[in-house]
Amino acid sequence: MRHKLRDHMISLLFLLPALTLLMIFVLYPTLSTIKLSFHSWKGIYGVPQKFVGFSNYVKVLTSDTFWNAMLNSFYFMMGTFFILMPLSFGLALLVTSRLRYTGFMKTMYYLPVMLGTTTVALMWKCILDPNAGILAGILNSMGLEEYIMDWLNTPTVNVWVTVLINEWKFAGYNMLIFVAGITSIPEITVEAAMIDGCNYWQRLRYIVLPLCKNSFKIFAILGITGCLKVFDIIWAMTGGGPNDVSSTPGVMIYQFAYTYKKYGRSAAIAVLLLIMGVTLSMVCNRVLKQENIY
Amino acid sequence: MDKRAKAGKGASYFLALIWIAATTAPLILAVLSSFKDNAEIYLHPWQLPKSWDVSNYIRAIRDVGALQAIGNTLLVSFLTAGGVLLVALLASYPMSRKNLRWVRASYTLFVLAVMIPIHTTLIPISSLASTWKAKNQYWYLICVYIAFNMAQSIFLVSGSMNGISREIDDAAIIDGCGDFRLLFRILTPICKPILATEAIFAFVYAYGELIFSLTLISDSKMFTVSRAILSFYGDGDMALGPIFAFIVLSTIPSVLVYILFHNQIQKGVMNGAIKG
Repeated sequence: MRHKLRDHMISLLFLLPALTLLMIFVLYPTLSTIKLSFHSWKGIYGVPQKFVGFSNYVKVLTSDTFWNAMLNSFYFMMGTFFILMPLSFGLALLVTSRLRYTGFMKTMYYLPVMLGTTTVALMWKCILDPNAGILAGILNSMGLEEYIMDWLNTPTVNVWVTVLINEWKFAGYNMLIFVAGITSIPEITVEAAMIDGCNYWQRLRYIVLPLCKNSFKIFAILGITGCLKVFDIIWAMTGGGPNDVSSTPGVMIYQFAYTYKKYGRSAAIAVLLLIMGVTLSMVCNRVLKQENIY
Repeated sequence: MDKRAKAGKGASYFLALIWIAATTAPLILAVLSSFKDNAEIYLHPWQLPKSWDVSNYIRAIRDVGALQAIGNTLLVSFLTAGGVLLVALLASYPMSRKNLRWVRASYTLFVLAVMIPIHTTLIPISSLASTWKAKNQYWYLICVYIAFNMAQSIFLVSGSMNGISREIDDAAIIDGCGDFRLLFRILTPICKPILATEAIFAFVYAYGELIFSLTLISDSKMFTVSRAILSFYGDGDMALGPIFAFIVLSTIPSVLVYILFHNQIQKGVMNGAIKG
């Protein structure tokens, strides 16, 4: 019995730092944000919050800015599935193939992931600057001046430019998710298919793709939840502008709190984001698990 | 080898090369541009600079405090990495070695907590910082970073501890090891590879993090790299050279870490992908 008590004490002592940090910085803030989303507060320290019921949610859900931000998140999602997925899967096939220098390729492809998002954003901003930027200079020297535009200030174009830069940065990371899937396929399966006369595309279609389903599942969950949370790259590239056209829910949370001082509204968006994130990742898990049966 | 296979191989090399160009070209441009002035960047982006003039670097260091920001960020990143390791090691030990119901329950709590987006915690964390007079304090920022990085590390470290035979524990206990010595002298050295990987990930996270450094740090002398970089915005006609110099300087630590540990980092991502 005394032994058991000692186990409890030691466990508590060892878990204390992690649990304390979890309570203070994750669980308490989440509950506090949920509470704040039903209140109106200007963020002035000491001024009490006023209960307003669901009005923050109503205001958010009826505002065009919010739905536009959701649309931008949706663009990021489209980019994830139609550009990033084929790109990173293709890169994964390349680096797991029998080519030479695959180690070098893998290393180079992952390099942009290492750089900070704001660094990447600023670098591309300087490249894309319409007056002094490198791309403008290159287009100019090729006699293609008419294609020069203010890429980061033209509505919708700026969102897509940011989506592309995001894919540029993260292709290497997602490549490794697929590499993990491809290398876990037993070599004997592939060899058996080769002996049976399957060509490359048939092996890809009937062996590699189905057996990588788990990687696609991880990619989908990370991709979808990641798209809801986009903040850094948009904030650093466009700041959500001009006139909020390139805003995302993450940017709105920041702006409503720290620019407009409408903390209740900001909290309501944060709670919506939480609900969407949790629901989507559970749905993804469910849907992709069922497909595993057959 | 028949003709088609040869063509396929050639095409593969070509595609591989295209993406290598895509990832490196912007970085090469950044390095070249960091030695040029605006006119030269615009007119001759690909040429080697006319002179390897370091005045852009001097301006980035003197006017924007590049070295200060990089030093700040390195400090925060190292402490974050160390903190994540310590917290994760301590928490993993009971999760792997003590079979108690509430310990298992707390593991589930961490699994659920991973689903919470950082944005949901933003306002309360900065309000709490005001209450505790912790704005512009690195210890608070580092605690936040540890809090958002420890869950993943706890999963992987406790998973790796689960793979260590209990017989080793028994032998150590017979030899008179207590819980602390068992953890730090026996189990920690065995878990070294996964610990190194987790430390690198925490370091990289802290080096590039933006939203908390934006809300918790307002003193420009304390800016981290990702925050300091934002101060380049807003100037109407900016001199691009010093900006590129700053970019090059600030990526040196990340690139160094990557050159030293790229195998470990790649293995770490793939491990995470299999377990996730």
